[in-house]
Amino acid sequence: MIKLDNVSKLYKSDVVALRSASVDIKKGEFVFLVGPSGSGKSTFIRLLNKEEVPDEGRIWVAGKDIAQLSPWKVPFLRRNIGCIFQDFKLLPTRSVYENVAFALEVIGRPRHVIPSQVPAILELVGLGKKFKNLPHELSGGEQQRVSIARAFVNRPLILLADEPTGNLDPTTSVGIMRLLDRINRTGTTVVMATHDRSIVDTMRRRVVELDRGTIVRDQTRGVYA
Amino acid sequence: MGGKFGYALRETLQNLRRNVVLTGASMLTVAVSLSLVGAAFLLGYGVDNVTQRWQGGIEFEIFLNENITAEQQARIQRELDASPDVARSQFVSQAEQYELFKVLFADQEEYVEAVTAEVLPPSFRVEPSIADADVISALGDRFKGEPGVKDVVFAEETVRTLLRVSGITQSVIFAVAAVLLFAAALLIFNTIRTAIFARRREIEVMKLVGATNWFIRVPFMLEGLVQGLAGASVAFAIVYLVRNAAQDAIRNVPLFDGFVVVSSQVATTGALTLLLGAAIGAVGAGVAVTKFLDV
Repeated sequence: MIKLDNVSKLYKSDVVALRSASVDIKKGEFVFLVGPSGSGKSTFIRLLNKEEVPDEGRIWVAGKDIAQLSPWKVPFLRRNIGCIFQDFKLLPTRSVYENVAFALEVIGRPRHVIPSQVPAILELVGLGKKFKNLPHELSGGEQQRVSIARAFVNRPLILLADEPTGNLDPTTSVGIMRLLDRINRTGTTVVMATHDRSIVDTMRRRVVELDRGTIVRDQTRGVYA
Repeated sequence: MGGKFGYALRETLQNLRRNVVLTGASMLTVAVSLSLVGAAFLLGYGVDNVTQRWQGGIEFEIFLNENITAEQQARIQRELDASPDVARSQFVSQAEQYELFKVLFADQEEYVEAVTAEVLPPSFRVEPSIADADVISALGDRFKGEPGVKDVVFAEETVRTLLRVSGITQSVIFAVAAVLLFAAALLIFNTIRTAIFARRREIEVMKLVGATNWFIRVPFMLEGLVQGLAGASVAFAIVYLVRNAAQDAIRNVPLFDGFVVVSSQVATTGALTLLLGAAIGAVGAGVAVTKFLDV
C-alpha cells in the first residue's frame, strides 16, 4: 500500500529531515512512527500525500509512483488518503455536520450522498447527537472525532495521523485510539506519528522509529523504545 | 455536477457579499473607466457619421442631377481628371448614396422606407491637390453652372476642426481610460487576494481532502468576472443614457444635424464594453488566483 525506497528529504539544503528511508507498509497495517520532535515524522507523513516532494528516492502510494504523478492528479491521490492532525483543522464557522459534509461537497460527490453518509459517519465516531454544534462548543476529544469523521467519510484506503493525541489528555486519547483501531479493522491502512509512549506500548503494533531523519528501528508488535 | 456548479455559485455570491466595500470600489472603477471608453467610441462613431463625406482630404462634393445623362457625367469626370488642382475624385452612385442614407437614418425607419435610391443625387467627391482655401473654392465654383450639376457643397471649416479635435479628444480619453482600467484590474486583483486570505483555512482543508485545483479556483475567478461585468453594465447604462440625452440636445443644432450614433453602433459599443469588463475581471482575478492560491 505504501512503499518508500531510499527516500531523502532536505530542507534548505543542509537540514536533513529524512535520510535514505526505506519502508514497506502492507494494506491494513497499523504503523506508529515514533521519535523525538524534529526526527522527521511529520516530513514522512507529508511526503505520503505529496505535500512535500522527496529530493531522492521513490515513493509508491496505493500502487502509484507519486513522484511521477502530474500535479493535476494529486487531488485524486489525496481522495484515497484521510488526514488528521494535532490541531484538528476544523472550520470554526461551520457546524459538525457541515465540516464533514464539506469534505464530500468539495470533491464533487453528488448532493444526495451527503444526508445519507454524514449522519452515519458521525454515529460511527460517537457524535450522532452533536451534529449541530460548532467546533468551539466541543471538547478537544470531540473535535478530533469530527476531524476523524471528515477524514474517513470518503472511505479512504489510508489514514495518516500526525500527533492526533498531542493536544488531548490520556483518557481522551484512549478513546481516540479505540476509534482509530476500529477504522483500521475495516481494512484501512493507518500511519500515525506520535511520541505518546503509553499509547504505543498499549497497542503493540508495528513501530518505525526515526532519529534525526534516519530509520533506526522497524519492529512488528513493538514498543515505544 | 449540479452540486459542483451550485457550490461555485454559492461561494461566489458569498464572497461578493462579504467584501462589499472592496467589491464596490472595483466595480465603480471599472464603471468609470469603461464609461470613458464607451463615450470615446460613441464620439468616434458620431464624428465618423457627420464627417463621412469629408474624410481622406475630401474638400467638396459635386452633387449631380438624378437624371444626369451619361455624356454630361463623362464630361465632368474628364474635367476633374484633367485639372492639375485635383488630386483625386471619387464617384458616388445613387446606390452608394442610399447605403450612406440608410446608415445615418437607421433609427428613423419611416425615412428609410420613404426614400429610394432614385431620389438621391449621385455625386463626385473631390480631393484637391492644393491647400489654399480660395483656390479650392474657385475650383469648386467652376462646376456650379455646368449642365447636370445640382449643387457643389464645401467642407466647412468647422468640419475640418471637428475631425482634428475629435481625434485628439479620443486619444486623450483612451489614455485616461487605459490608466483607469489598469487601476480597476489592480483593485479586482486586491479584492480577490483578500477573499483568498479570508478563506485560507477552507482552502487548506479543500486541498487536504482532494478538491481539484479548478474547483478551488473557479469561485474566485467568477467573483472577478462578476465584478468586471457588473462595472461594465453600469458603464454601458451611463453611456446609453448620455447618448440619448445628447442626441436630443443637439438634434436642432444645424452644425450637428448629421451627428448621430445609430442603435447598431451603440450595440457594438455595449458589447465591446461588456467584453472589456469581463476581460479585466478575469485577468485581475486570474493573476491573483495564480499568485496566492498555490494550488
